Amino acid sequence: MRCAYCEWNCELDESKFGVCRMYYAQDGRIKERFPHRWSSCSVSRIESLPFYHVWPGSRSMTIGTFGCNFMCRYCSNGFIARQDPVEWKGRMFDLNPDEMIRMAHKLRCHNIVFNVNEPTVSMPSLMELHEHARKADMPMGCFTNGYTTREAADELARVFSFVNVGLKGFSDEFYREYIGIRSIEPILRNVETFARACHVEVITPVIQGANDHEIDDIARFLADIDPEIPWHVFRLLPEHEMKGSSYPSIEGINRLLHYARTRLKYVYFHNFVGSDWVNTICPKCGMHVIERFSLGCGGDRLDAFHCTDNRCPCCGQEIRILGERLAWKRENRGVAQWHR
Amino acid sequence: MAQVIVDARQWQNMFDLRTGRKLEIENPTNRMVRDVLHRHPYPGDTSYRSNRWVSEVALDLIRIYQPRLVCLSYAQQYFTSRFSYLSPLEYEDLLDQVFREIEDFIEISGYTPVIVGTGDMTELVSDIDLSRTDGLCLSSAWSARYAGLSEPSERDLIQVRSHPGIERVVSREEWVDLFAGIPYERDRTPDYLLVARPGRAFRTVVTPIRRAVRIPGESSAVPVVTDLGTVDDIIGLKTLIEQNLEATDIALIVVEGVGLRNFPRPNQACSNGRGWFYYEPGETQYLTITTGSHQVFAYPAGFLDLYDDEEYPFSGFLREVPGHTLGGEFDGRSIAVGNRSMYTHMVYGADICVECFARNLYNQGSMAVIHREKEGWR
Repeated sequence: MRCAYCEWNCELDESKFGVCRMYYAQDGRIKERFPHRWSSCSVSRIESLPFYHVWPGSRSMTIGTFGCNFMCRYCSNGFIARQDPVEWKGRMFDLNPDEMIRMAHKLRCHNIVFNVNEPTVSMPSLMELHEHARKADMPMGCFTNGYTTREAADELARVFSFVNVGLKGFSDEFYREYIGIRSIEPILRNVETFARACHVEVITPVIQGANDHEIDDIARFLADIDPEIPWHVFRLLPEHEMKGSSYPSIEGINRLLHYARTRLKYVYFHNFVGSDWVNTICPKCGMHVIERFSLGCGGDRLDAFHCTDNRCPCCGQEIRILGERLAWKRENRGVAQWHR
Repeated sequence: MAQVIVDARQWQNMFDLRTGRKLEIENPTNRMVRDVLHRHPYPGDTSYRSNRWVSEVALDLIRIYQPRLVCLSYAQQYFTSRFSYLSPLEYEDLLDQVFREIEDFIEISGYTPVIVGTGDMTELVSDIDLSRTDGLCLSSAWSARYAGLSEPSERDLIQVRSHPGIERVVSREEWVDLFAGIPYERDRTPDYLLVARPGRAFRTVVTPIRRAVRIPGESSAVPVVTDLGTVDDIIGLKTLIEQNLEATDIALIVVEGVGLRNFPRPNQACSNGRGWFYYEPGETQYLTITTGSHQVFAYPAGFLDLYDDEEYPFSGFLREVPGHTLGGEFDGRSIAVGNRSMYTHMVYGADICVECFARNLYNQGSMAVIHREKEGWR
C-alpha cells in the first residue's frame, strides 16, 4: 500500500516503514508507528523559531517528533531527523493531545509550534492535537519542507494557522544534490497552496556556492505569489555531512539580497548574532515598525512593536501580521488548575 | 558599562552587556580584543582543537594585557564525552590530552596553577521521565541529578517518592534550611527538589533533545591541584588564590568533566557541596568557586521563570553580573577564557573574558566581554 502523505509515495506494509520510517500499512490503512510520541516539548519566543509576523512577542510551546522525508546533507537536527526513530524508543515523551494542551497552559504558552522535524511524518497525531487545540483556542503553527502530496498540504493548511516553508533552493539540481529528492515542483506547488490557505513565511538557508545563485529566482517566485510573504534568509551553519564546511560570508550574502528587497516587502537575513536585518520596515515609508534582536542560534526576540492595530504609526500602512502583539510574560495563574 | 564583542566569523559587532544594544565605541582595548577574536576563530565545542583554542587565546591575551590573574575553563572533554560513545581507552586518551594541554599552558605562561576538576562523568544508565506529572516538573538544560517540581498533586508525590531512580525528594524548606543564610528567591525556586541517583538523569519538558551518553556523576568532592596550600572545600579556593596573588601570578584552571575517579594527577579532595547536595558542573559550581560562598540558588534547578529576563541577553539565565567574584574584586589585571559557553564572563568577572559563542553545540563563533580596563597595559 502506498503512503499518501508525502511525495515519496512509499510502498508500505507491516515491516516497510518508508523513507521517514514513521508509518506502516496494516488492514488497508496507513498507520503511525509512534502516535503521540514526541521528541521534544519546550518553550521558545516565537521570534526565535522564527515567525516574525505571527502574534509578535508570544510564547510558543515547541514540539517535534522523529524522522524526516528529506536527506539534507547539512541537516542541523540530524541527530533527531536522520536517526532511525526506533533508536529513540524509551526516550519519547508519551503525551496525548489533552496532556499536550495542559502542558502548553502550564508553561504559559500562547500557541504551539511544530518545529523540530517534518510534520508530514506525524500527520494523524497532529490532526488529533489540532482538534484539542482548536477547542482550547490555542493556535498551531509548523515548519515544513513542503514535500507533501496535494491532499496532505491541504490538511497541513487546515491544521496549522501559520506555516513556515523551507524553500531550500530553486532547482531540481540543488534538491537532488543536497536534499536527496528528485524534483522541486511539489514544493513550489505547495508554497502556493499554503499562501492561499493560511499565514505563510518562507525560510531559505543559504550555502555559498550551492544555492546562493538561486536567491533572485526564489525572490521572484515568492513575489509572484504574494510580495508580502515574509522571507527569512538564513546564514547556514553546516552540520551533519557538511560539518566543517566554511561559514557563509554575511556581507557576501547580504549583497545578493538586493534584488529580493526590491520585490518582496519583508526580507530578513539572520541566524547570526547581532544581525542588522531582523527589523520589520514599513514598505511604504521606511519606518522600523517592529524591532528585534538576534542572538543567532541563541534565538531572536522582540525588542519593540510600534504597529498599533497592525499599522505603521507613521503612514498608516497595514503591516501583515497574524494576530496581535502579545506579552511574553503571562500572568502565572498557577499550575494546579491544569491537573488532571 | 560592560562591552560585548561578538565574532561570528568575518563579522564582528559590539553590544552593551546589560541591554544588548549595539555600541559604536572604538578604543585601544576593544580594538585589541577584536584582533584577538579575529586571530582565533572558535573551532567548536567537540572539535579536537577546542581546548587548544582556550590556551591560544589566553596566551595571546597574556602577551598583550599581561594579567596577574588568569581564569581558564577547558570543556572539550566534557562535551565530547557527554554526547559521544567513547571506549575507556579513548576516554583516557581524551583526558590525557587535556592535561598535556594544561601543562603546556603552564610551562609557556609561567603562571602558578590552581587546577580544579568539576567532577566525574558517569555513563547514563536510564532516564527518569517526569513529563506526565500533574504539577510542573522541569530540569535545567545541563543538569542530570536535579529537577524541580512545582504545585504537585498527591499522585505526583507518590510517584516521585516511590520512583526507583530518585534518591530523594526535598521540600523547598528543607533545601533552603540546608543552605541557611544563602539568599534565595521563593518565586524562582520550585516547591520540591528531586534528586536522581547516580547514573540517572531527569527528562522533563524543556530538557534538550540531544541524547547524552555520559552525565555528571557522584561528586560530593572534587579534585584540586595546588602548591599554594591545602583547601578542603571549593568555597576556600577564592581566599587561597587571593592570599597568594600578592606574591605570584596565578592561573585558576577549571577542568570540566573530570573528578576524583579520573583525575590523572595527584590531587587533594575538596568538598563540593553540603550534606546530600553537591554541585554539578555549571553556573552554581563556578560561582561557588569564584565567590567563595555557596551559590546554590543563583540558578536553582527547575526554576520557574523560563527565559523571562529582558536584560543580559548574552548571559544565559543569570540576571545580573554576580558580585564578589574573583576577577571582579581583584585590583590587578585579570582575564578569563573558556570553551564552556555563555557564562564564563559572568562567573569569573575578569577584566577581559573570552568565550565560545555556541549553543547546544551549534558553533556561531566567539564572544568577548570587557568588564573594565585597567591602566598600564598599553
